[in-house]
Amino acid sequence: MSKSFVRTIKNVANGYTSAQVMVRNATSNEPHGPTIAQMADVANHTYESAEFLPIMDIIDKRMNDKGKNWRHVAKSLTLLDYLVRYGSNNVVIWSKDNLYVIKTLREFQHVDDSGTDQGVLIRVKAKELTALLQDEERLRQEREIAREKRGRRGGRRRGDDD
Amino acid sequence: MSRQEADLKVSIKKACSTEEAAPKRKHVRACIVFTWDHRSSKAFYNGLRLLPIQNDEIPLFKSLITIHKVLQEGHPSAIKEGIKNRDWIQSLGHVFPGDGMKRYGRLIREYDRYLIRKIDFHNSHKGFNGTFEYEEYVSLKTVSDPNEGYEAIMDLMVLQDSINDLQRLLFASVDSSSHSELKISALVPLVAESYGIFKFITSMLRGMCHSLGHEDEALQPLIERFISQYSDLYDFYAECSYVKYLTSLVNIPKLPLEAPDLFNWDETDELKLRLPVEEAPLQV
Repeated sequence: MSKSFVRTIKNVANGYTSAQVMVRNATSNEPHGPTIAQMADVANHTYESAEFLPIMDIIDKRMNDKGKNWRHVAKSLTLLDYLVRYGSNNVVIWSKDNLYVIKTLREFQHVDDSGTDQGVLIRVKAKELTALLQDEERLRQEREIAREKRGRRGGRRRGDDD
Repeated sequence: MSRQEADLKVSIKKACSTEEAAPKRKHVRACIVFTWDHRSSKAFYNGLRLLPIQNDEIPLFKSLITIHKVLQEGHPSAIKEGIKNRDWIQSLGHVFPGDGMKRYGRLIREYDRYLIRKIDFHNSHKGFNGTFEYEEYVSLKTVSDPNEGYEAIMDLMVLQDSINDLQRLLFASVDSSSHSELKISALVPLVAESYGIFKFITSMLRGMCHSLGHEDEALQPLIERFISQYSDLYDFYAECSYVKYLTSLVNIPKLPLEAPDLFNWDETDELKLRLPVEEAPLQV
């Protein structure tokens, strides 16, 4: 509880935008999440051109976090994988431009205090995401499928409010 | 000196420390990411040259692994700068002429020789990236000119043979010592590189067999060498798959027992070669 409280204070102190706060909550150090609802919220905001870069800034920071914060890295990869499918096309362009950030995580290592290798999850996620981004055809199909799914759910997009 | 350059210096220093363990991935990654962020690798080589790595075998060996990783995964400028720093990299091989106090002397010499071969290859064959990831146009370009294609395949095969010599040397040195992590970690970039080279040779040879026809005698020596290299590669990966440190870190490619048929092949064969992630079993 206190941790999320500290995060709230940091959010205010560092002047993060509401979309950035969403990303920070979705990729926090808590053992659960990110939830689909959290990721969908962020995905919707990537369609706003003013919010896009601030969002990606936080994701970039989280992906480059140190080993102790491996949950930040793992969750931001999960989130980015979701955004690449459900977010705006700018996410795809950004991810391809910054592919090296993801690619170099394929050998991520972190052994925690109990001796467990927490890097496995990140290595697998990074490998999958890299493969997806390098496969133009599959990526197009995945985004097509995502668009249909979103359509069926009632299509919350650009500017729609809850 | 900018803040990032100061950070880079710290990362290089930590990657090439005196501790007899694998270079820490986070520091090596920081070096790689720096070359992409700045689209330049000058600062990396300059930083490395200023370190007193030549005083001790361990940091020197670790710096060779780091250079190899940056050449592989860094911005293309890493290869260009590597070519410029060729003489300095070559000089690292002469620092410990004998076996060395910590018995890294020979490993350093052979690793250094391999890096020089790799740099020379990139110097004479532009268009290949550091890990030899498959790029269709390079293979098309070389196949359309049989002479150039022949030479590129020959040079790739020379490189593949040196990887094989180096990995044997590394494996042979592992048994005799308890601190084997550092030596094993040098195999990580070699696995990735040998598989990239293998895929290139396979698709280029296939292309050439296809365009020159089955009975072309000029291709015969290449095909024979391809088959013998294939069995070396098969053994190499089989041996790697017993080392837990390696299997947890990288996908060891799973090769079929038989070398791929260069004449009868269809689209799915080609596709399989292009997607190592799907092909190799995921280590979860």
